[in-house]
Amino acid sequence: MNARRILLADADAFFVAVARMVDPEGAGKEPLLIVGGTRESRGVVCSASYEARKFGVRSAMPIARALRLCPNAMCVPVPRRACGEKSHAIRAALDRFAPVVEGASIDEWYLDLGGTEELYREPLAATAARIRERVVAETGLSVSIGGGTSKLVAKLAVERAKPKPGTGATGVHVVPAGEEEEFLRTIQLADIPLIGPRFQERLAALGMRSVPDVLQYDVPTLTQWLGEREAAWLYDRVRGIDASEVERGGDAKSISRDETFHADINDDDELARELLSLVTRAAADLRGDALTARTITVRIRDFDFKTRQAGRTLDAPVISDRIILDVARGLLAKLRAGRRVPARLIGVGLSSLAVDATADQLTFFERKDALVESDRDRLLARTVDQVRAKFGDKGILPARLID
Amino acid sequence: MRFTISREKLQEGLAAVTASIPAKTTLPVLANILVEATEKGIRLSGTDLDIAVTTEVAADVETTGAITIPAKKLSEIARELPPAPVRIAAVGEQRITLDCGRSHFKILGLPRDEFPAFPNVKFNESWRIRSGDLIKLISHTSFAVSTEESRPILNGVLWELRPEMMRMVATNGHRLAKMEMPIKSTGAPASDMIVPPKALEQIRRLFPEDEELEIAKGENHLGFRSPFTAVFTRLIEGPYPPYEQVIPKDNNRVAIADRTALTSALRRMTIIASDQTHRIRMSFNAGMLKFSVQTPDLGEANDELAVRYTGDPLDIGFNANYLLEVLRYIPTDEVRLTFKAPERAATLEPEGWADPASYLCLVMPLRLLD
Repeated sequence: MNARRILLADADAFFVAVARMVDPEGAGKEPLLIVGGTRESRGVVCSASYEARKFGVRSAMPIARALRLCPNAMCVPVPRRACGEKSHAIRAALDRFAPVVEGASIDEWYLDLGGTEELYREPLAATAARIRERVVAETGLSVSIGGGTSKLVAKLAVERAKPKPGTGATGVHVVPAGEEEEFLRTIQLADIPLIGPRFQERLAALGMRSVPDVLQYDVPTLTQWLGEREAAWLYDRVRGIDASEVERGGDAKSISRDETFHADINDDDELARELLSLVTRAAADLRGDALTARTITVRIRDFDFKTRQAGRTLDAPVISDRIILDVARGLLAKLRAGRRVPARLIGVGLSSLAVDATADQLTFFERKDALVESDRDRLLARTVDQVRAKFGDKGILPARLID
Repeated sequence: MRFTISREKLQEGLAAVTASIPAKTTLPVLANILVEATEKGIRLSGTDLDIAVTTEVAADVETTGAITIPAKKLSEIARELPPAPVRIAAVGEQRITLDCGRSHFKILGLPRDEFPAFPNVKFNESWRIRSGDLIKLISHTSFAVSTEESRPILNGVLWELRPEMMRMVATNGHRLAKMEMPIKSTGAPASDMIVPPKALEQIRRLFPEDEELEIAKGENHLGFRSPFTAVFTRLIEGPYPPYEQVIPKDNNRVAIADRTALTSALRRMTIIASDQTHRIRMSFNAGMLKFSVQTPDLGEANDELAVRYTGDPLDIGFNANYLLEVLRYIPTDEVRLTFKAPERAATLEPEGWADPASYLCLVMPLRLLD
C-alpha cells in the first residue's frame, strides 16, 4: 500500500490576520496586537501578534495579565463574522485540492491527499506549496502546512513550517515517508498532542522529557510504569505512528458562544439578559452555517473559577431562538439553583449538529409541545436573518438587548 | 418430537417465518424458530417481540413435542439439502438431529419454554376481509409513514375499520397518503388502530390476494390469520393526529397532468436540486406548468409541461422527492393536483379512476426563498 499523504493546513495567526483585514487603518497598522476583547474587558486572549508574543503574551491568558506583560498593545474584540467567513473561504480553496478535508477547528484543516499521486505527479511538499499560494491568492490569508504519513506527524510538522521571524521556515514542512522516527527524535514530549501538563509531569518523574528518552524503552517496560493503554499509545506516538483517519466534513461539531463579564454578575435578571444575548448570537451562527442542533448546553463559571455545565438533548433538531432560549433558561435556572454565587462567565453551546434539510419544509400538524419548533418559529428565525443580512447584526434584536 | 417432512414443505415453512426473526437480538431465543410437532403437522413460529409469524405445514409426525432451533442455520441447511425427505428428531430438550439422504446434522437449540408466548388475541369477535383488499390499501399508503423516531405515532399506518368501509392513512408530517374502500359488513365493532408498517409488509408477503383473513384485536395487539398462517403485531398507542383537519376543502386551483410526463420532468429537475432539500419551484399558468431549480454551487435547470390548469397563476415550492414518491402510487395515466396558496397543502389524486376505492395524497410545500 502507498504511504498515506496527509497535510495539516494551519492559518497563521488567524484571528490577528483577520482583525487586521477588518480594520486596516487601526489594527492593521499596530504591530503589538491582542485579539480577544477590549483593554477593559475581563476576557482572555484569543490570539496575539508575533510581536506581542515576544513579550510573553499567550492564548487563553486573561487580557489584564497580557497587558501587564505588554502594556502598549492594542486590544480588539474577535471579529467573529469575518473569522467565520474567512474560515469558509480557506476551506473552499482546500476542498479543491484534496478529496477529503476535515475541519479540526476554525483555523486548522487536515487534508488527505491519498490517491492524488497520479493526479499531481509531484512531491507532496510541492503540492503543499501550491496549496499555500492558492490560499493566499484567494483569501489574502497565509497558511502553514505540515505533512507526513499520519495526522500526528502533520500536526508536529506544521510547527516547523510556520514562518516565524528568525526561523527561516518557508511555510511548508513535509516529513517524507520512512523518516518519521528521525523527525520525531527532534520533538519534546510536551509538543505531542494529548500529552498534557499532568502526563508531562508523570513522564518527567520517570526521566522522560523528549522523544529519544522514550524510544529506548520497550512496551513491557513502559507498561510497568504507565499501564497498558498509555504505554501502547505512547510507544506508537514517539515513532510517529497514528492510524487515525482524516474524516470528511468534521466541520464544527458544536457552536458555542460565551461571555466573560466586566464584573461578576449575581442578579438572575441580568444573567438572563446575558443568556439571551448569547443565544441570539449562537442561534444566528447556527442558521448562518445552515445547520440544526439537537443538544443545548449552558456553562457557568463562578467567581471562584469553578466551572459547571448542564445540557439537554431534544427529540427533534431546532434552529429557532425561541426553543434554544427556552431550554437554555431552564438549564441556567438548574445551574443557579445548584450554587447561587456571583458568576464570572456564562456560555451557550449547540451540538448534535446536522445539515438543515427540512428547514423550509412546511408541516401538517403543528405540535403543541413547547419544545417542538413550529413553522412560525422557523419563519420568524429566517425573517430575522434576512433583516440582519440587509441591516447588519444589530438591525434587529430582542428588545431586552437594546441598550 | 420426531417427524418426517418433504424438503419443499420445510423450505416453504421456513421462508414464511424467517422474515420475522430479528437480525440482531440480545435475547438469544429470538434468533431461533419454534418448531412444534402436533397431530396435524408441524407449526413453525418466529418473533422479534413486535411481530410474530406462525405457519403450519404438512408433515408425518411420529411423536409430538416442541423445541427451538437457530433460524439462520436451519434455513441454510434446508436450502442445501438433497431432494429427499427430511427426518427431524429432538434429542432431549436442547438438541435435534436432522437426516436427509446421506446427510446428517446435529444442531443445538434452546428449550421451548424460553420462547416468548404469543400475544393473547381472541378471534371470536373478528373482521373478515379479503387479503387482496387489505394489500391494496397497504401498498398505496404505507410508503408514507415517518421513519423518524421523534414521533412514534407517525411510524405507524392508521387503519380505520368501519362496518361498511375501511381506510388507511399514513404520513410523516410533510406528505400524506389516504385510501379507503367499501367492505362487506362484518358485524365486528368499528375500530381505529395504528399498525407498524413492518407488520403490514408481512401481510403483503404472506397471504395470497384471494384469501379471506380473519382479523382480531387484543389488548394492544392485532392478529391476522388464514387457515394455515397467522401474524400478530404490537399496535402503536394513539391518538393519531387529526388528519381530517389538514385535508384541504377549498383548494380552488386545479391542474391535470400526464403522470408519466410530470414524473419525467420532476426527475430531470431533481438532478440539479439540492441533495438536502430537493427544492424545486413550480409555476402554474393557463395551460402550462414551468419548473425551475437553482442550487448554489451547482447550477440551475428549467423545464415546461403542458397541463390543463384552472385558477389564478401560482408559484409554489416542493421537495421534488415527495411529489415523485406520491406519483409512483397514483394508479391512473393522469393525475389531478389541487392548490390553494403557496404555503398550503396540495392534493394529488388519480384522474378518471373507475374503482370502488378512493385515493388521496397530500404534500406540504417547501417555503420558497426570495
